[in-house]
Amino acid sequence: MSALLELEQIAVERGGSAVISDLSCSIHAGEITVVLGPNGAGKSSLLLAMAGLIPVTGRLELNGKILETYARAELSRQVAWQGSLPPTEFGLTVKQRLALAAADPAIDVEITATEMDVAALLSRPLGELSSGERQRVELAALMLRDTPVWLLDEPTAHLDLKHQIHCITMLKQQAEAGRAIVTVLHDIQQAMAIADFVILVDGKCAEGQGGTAYGEAADLLNSATLSELFDAPVVEQGDVLIADYGVTRE
Amino acid sequence: MKWLLFGLTLLAVCVFGLAVGQQWINPFDASGQDAVILWELRLPRLLTAFAVGGLLALAGAWFQVLLGNPLAEPYVLGVAGSASAGAVSGLMLMPDSAWVMSIGAFIGAWVGIVCVMFFSHLGANRMLLAGVVLAAFWSAVLALLLALLPEQGLFRAFSWMMGDLSHSDLPVSLLLLAWVVALVCGLLLSRSLDVLLLGERHAEALGIDVKRLRQRLLLLASAVTALAVTAAGTIGFVGLVIPHLMRLLFGSLHRAVLPASAIGGGVLLMLADSAARTVIAPAELPVGILTAIIGVPVFLFLLLRRPT
Repeated sequence: MSALLELEQIAVERGGSAVISDLSCSIHAGEITVVLGPNGAGKSSLLLAMAGLIPVTGRLELNGKILETYARAELSRQVAWQGSLPPTEFGLTVKQRLALAAADPAIDVEITATEMDVAALLSRPLGELSSGERQRVELAALMLRDTPVWLLDEPTAHLDLKHQIHCITMLKQQAEAGRAIVTVLHDIQQAMAIADFVILVDGKCAEGQGGTAYGEAADLLNSATLSELFDAPVVEQGDVLIADYGVTRE
Repeated sequence: MKWLLFGLTLLAVCVFGLAVGQQWINPFDASGQDAVILWELRLPRLLTAFAVGGLLALAGAWFQVLLGNPLAEPYVLGVAGSASAGAVSGLMLMPDSAWVMSIGAFIGAWVGIVCVMFFSHLGANRMLLAGVVLAAFWSAVLALLLALLPEQGLFRAFSWMMGDLSHSDLPVSLLLLAWVVALVCGLLLSRSLDVLLLGERHAEALGIDVKRLRQRLLLLASAVTALAVTAAGTIGFVGLVIPHLMRLLFGSLHRAVLPASAIGGGVLLMLADSAARTVIAPAELPVGILTAIIGVPVFLFLLLRRPT
């Protein structure tokens, strides 16, 4: 099966210095690729580059065609990006925000809003919502983007436990339905639950050492690799990996 | 229902604007001298006020979205300052010419626009910063010119700088045509403007060519501002507050905000100008003073009534 997104020796810069270098990977339909790494390592920049929102060096192809050659409108029909929460200054309501995401104006946003548990928020301005509610709205907006590729930057950030589980389940279902998903996550257990492939970004690219790694989740999600990646103790407990906080309940 | 009330308000203000002045004239029963005053003096001025107010409000709405900042207004990037400097320069060079301030203002406004266009490729925040610094520069130039201006020109200069519809040199038909063209252009861009409310990254991800949209918007908003300043001097407040007022009344989507602002700005300026030529008749107040005196309480009242 040919890849939807093909990255070959990709390098990405932020603020004049390299954050990602020499990354090669293939993103296929029906697969979830999780991007892991410490703060400031360049995970978000990598997603922006994959979405064509910042420049990239190396070869980045979408459906066999160089991504930079796509017109902005055509690219938006192929790739959806969910990143930072949008500004709230101008009083957009949840319903209006969702309608702006829908590629087809005839789509009934209320059905998606109900599916994503934001139906009760539809008439409220974004500025009146909590960060968690706004994140749920962004996920609902993403659901309205029927694109083959989804790029998500920390989709479970701000969410309570119920909605974190909902989000992870939804991503799994979407991948099973054939969507290619690349997502940045900070929670190792969430990554273990859904990752087919993993991109590790260690943030040491500018220092001329380390860089990125790409491989199957089964090969890279282990305590030794993650402990080194995060410079923090990660231990195996049964079948799962957890952070070792070094404290215990009395 | 809201639009119906809005339309009725427009009609009422039109009738009121025609009727009031140094003497009260019934617009539905005017003849002889009264008819001349009504249709040849008051109507053109009323329509000028409507068009200029509408253009300023449209420009304000565009600048707010372009710069992603609700405090933006038509003069934020220094176009009013450069226009004022141009107008006063004209007054210095040809103090007795009737048209010289308008011509100077138009040239000055476009000099200001060209300066701002150099920064159009920057992000919204840096462009705003560049504009604010340019505005400070033009203010300094204006202060220098005013210091050098002979005393007899000062009143004319200050009157123009505070907004003056009594000496508008531009034909009313041109201003009304500009109002229509600006509104149509705005409506054609309205969906893109809505998406831009989500921020530049989200807008790009949703398929908008943000760089091109920003350039178009900057040119459109600046050109409209230049025309309004040329017609009536610098009239503050309308461009800042009317778009907010219309968002409170009609929501955030531009297919409603833009026509509402184009009409609402016109209504406010017609009201303010009617008051400006009546309050201390036969003398006149600068209309810019009254736009704020009428508009601020209305805006604050609506702000307080709206739940946070």
